[in-house]
Amino acid sequence: MVCALTFAAPWQLGWFTLLPLLWWLALPPRPRRQQWTAHLAQWQAAHAALRRQPPRLRGLRLVLLATAASCAIVAGAGPVWRAAPGPSRLTVLLDASASMAARGSADTSAFARADQRLGQVFDTLPPHVDVTLLRCGGPRLRRLGAAARARTDLGVPAGTLDVDLPALAAAVAAQPDTVVWTLTDGQAQAQLPTVGALTVLPAAGPNAAITAVRTVDRWPLPGLSLAVDLVACTDAACRGTLRADGALAAAAQRAVELAPGVPITVAFELERSAAGGELRLQLDVQGDVLAADDAFRAWLPPLPAPRIGVLAAADTTPFAALAARALADEVGGSVVDAATGTEVGFLLVDGGVAPVAPGRVRALTFGSRLAADVDVVPWLQPRLADWDRTSPLCQGLDLSELRIDTAFRGVLPAGAPFLWGEDAAGDRTPLAVLVDGGATASVHFAFRLQDGNLPLLAAFPQLLRRAFVRCHGAAAALVVTTPPPAPGEQDLRTAATAPDRPLPPFRAADRPLAAPLLLAGLLALVLRAFVR
Amino acid sequence: MRRRPPPLPVLPERFPPPFRALLHELLARGARARGGRDDRQRARRAVLSHSGTFVGHRPYVPGDDPRRIDWAACARTGELFVKQFEEEQRRTATLVLDLSPRLLVGEPPRALAVRRLAAVVGGLALRHLDGLTVVAPAAGAAAVVRFAGAGMLDALLRHLDDLPVVAAPPAAAIPLVLARGLSGRLHWLSDFAEPEAFELPLAALRRRGAAITGWLPAITEDHDVPRPGYLTLRDPAGGGELAVGLDAALAAAMRHQLALLRRRQERLFAQSGCTLVRWPAPAAGDFTLDAFREIVAWCAR
Repeated sequence: MVCALTFAAPWQLGWFTLLPLLWWLALPPRPRRQQWTAHLAQWQAAHAALRRQPPRLRGLRLVLLATAASCAIVAGAGPVWRAAPGPSRLTVLLDASASMAARGSADTSAFARADQRLGQVFDTLPPHVDVTLLRCGGPRLRRLGAAARARTDLGVPAGTLDVDLPALAAAVAAQPDTVVWTLTDGQAQAQLPTVGALTVLPAAGPNAAITAVRTVDRWPLPGLSLAVDLVACTDAACRGTLRADGALAAAAQRAVELAPGVPITVAFELERSAAGGELRLQLDVQGDVLAADDAFRAWLPPLPAPRIGVLAAADTTPFAALAARALADEVGGSVVDAATGTEVGFLLVDGGVAPVAPGRVRALTFGSRLAADVDVVPWLQPRLADWDRTSPLCQGLDLSELRIDTAFRGVLPAGAPFLWGEDAAGDRTPLAVLVDGGATASVHFAFRLQDGNLPLLAAFPQLLRRAFVRCHGAAAALVVTTPPPAPGEQDLRTAATAPDRPLPPFRAADRPLAAPLLLAGLLALVLRAFVR
Repeated sequence: MRRRPPPLPVLPERFPPPFRALLHELLARGARARGGRDDRQRARRAVLSHSGTFVGHRPYVPGDDPRRIDWAACARTGELFVKQFEEEQRRTATLVLDLSPRLLVGEPPRALAVRRLAAVVGGLALRHLDGLTVVAPAAGAAAVVRFAGAGMLDALLRHLDDLPVVAAPPAAAIPLVLARGLSGRLHWLSDFAEPEAFELPLAALRRRGAAITGWLPAITEDHDVPRPGYLTLRDPAGGGELAVGLDAALAAAMRHQLALLRRRQERLFAQSGCTLVRWPAPAAGDFTLDAFREIVAWCAR
């Protein structure tokens, strides 16, 4: 056991050089004489007559004063009695991967047991031990000090264990005065850490999981197709049910039979409710120890019921009105006259001048000027060069038959082109752009409907619907709220294991000696009051 | 921190040649010292000095009256002896000396004054009386020494010079004085710093008819106080000490205490029917006749 007295501010010990001054100041006033007398009794009587106390233990006065001063000086230097050496920092590697949510044969999940074990140890941990808690698996979190001891906001088990626990533990343990403590279920690990303390929380058992959900969203139509992949990590075939409910017109349920380790796909053709909401998929299999991967959650946007306004120049064909009617029929909306003061949800403009802010108004324009002062230049018979086959507007559509008699240069705002024309010189010029404003978007074509055969193409209705959906931006998107299933976290039958290793004793707290020394100095001053 | 006590004062040479010359001059021209009888019986003593009841012999010492030599005893023994008669014992004096270390205090030390005072009183007794007994309690073998004849003045001075410094209670002198029979006047030389300690010895000696004269060599410390300051006072006899901050108030209180002590000393001797003589001790180098004339005067009374 090595103990040592150290000082936080040793330079304060320099005040000891003033002790001789203290001794000099403590000397009795001059002149100081020693004298023999034959009348000591008379001196004592005279002293007593004046009610003066004779000096008592006078020699101790300076000793006590010097003791008090020395205690104050040493206390000012911050003396610390260092205890026996040992680790003073604890780093906890907490496996919070999805498999830690498994209950195994216990009543509570492995993660809950780990949390309880952490609480028990932290309650008995000396307060001077610096604790760091690292969440491994899912979102990586680090908690320090009091937040680590309180296990603040560690979340729930999720995600995959994407760190090498043995290597991480070894790296942490290599730091000076540090002890690493790993808490894991051993799932998806070839071996467990060989250094530091280890607590294995077994949670083995059969597990069936939803491994993937593929959706085909027909928004703004109510149709919704789901393809759900299931797998059973069990030793024997098992049966269960897969239920879809929530924001649906009618809940659906399928009985499934899962062979060990064989993935299957269950398809659902669902009709969503117009109000939208949460879509829930729940797999129920008897004896499943991990319920977290048995559910799927997604948020369905409400179906639109837009008021589609039509603006068409007087010299245009009725294609715009017909297109608006067809779109309204498909999305369940209505066509309204786009007069001043009328509220519309989607604007369809053909020719003329439309004061539309690109990207900020859900609009579909065909050869329309966005401002009256825009100079347009006719472009006769542009040749279709190409279209963007990756754009959500054109993906899967055949526009090769598109013929345009007249287009207009200068009517397109700045945006992402998805359709290009080519002039006689071979220069490519956008014929259509998408202006994305985030929550809203607008689509603009450089030609009027009457100046081409676009309304006659088979892809035109689809293009209209896609433009409508795209103009609604994120409001039309299905949002999956369930985290994606973590690979390797489903099969809970084989997990690495090792005997638990306890935490080593930590270094005792350093004992500051300033307070006892100050008390000793104070005591010396009190005693000095009784010494004359 | 306890400071080392200062060494006790060292007595200077007690009887330097100037003092011896002064002493001889005092004895030569001084008045006759009084013994146990008063002057009114001088004539009778002259008659009885060679008569009276024979009480024994004593060795002859130079200065003795040759007429008192007992030639018969000389013929028998071959040594000179002088006869002693009862009246001779009455014509003696006794000196009781206080050898306490406390007498070393003072400037000059009171012990120096005591020894010179004893030399003068003893010299007068040797010159004018027939014998002198010097009693020094606690002095060991030198506790009681008798001297006779003026020729033993040097022996007396050597004896006084050789006396040690030793503390003894006043009562210790009583058995020494009474052991050889109380005779003559008794001169008690001390500082009488503790008057109560002398009450019983004085009373006991007075009951046996002793005529006692107390000699107190007065020094400056008996009536004055040192300069103000921080003093550590030590008693050389008892070993006690007292640290005081001496200021005007304490100086006044101390003077008052010294006055009380003087009154207690005088009351002690008055109540005992004895005489107390305060003799201002001269400086160590003061060998003038005036400084010692008062002793002779007192002895002549």
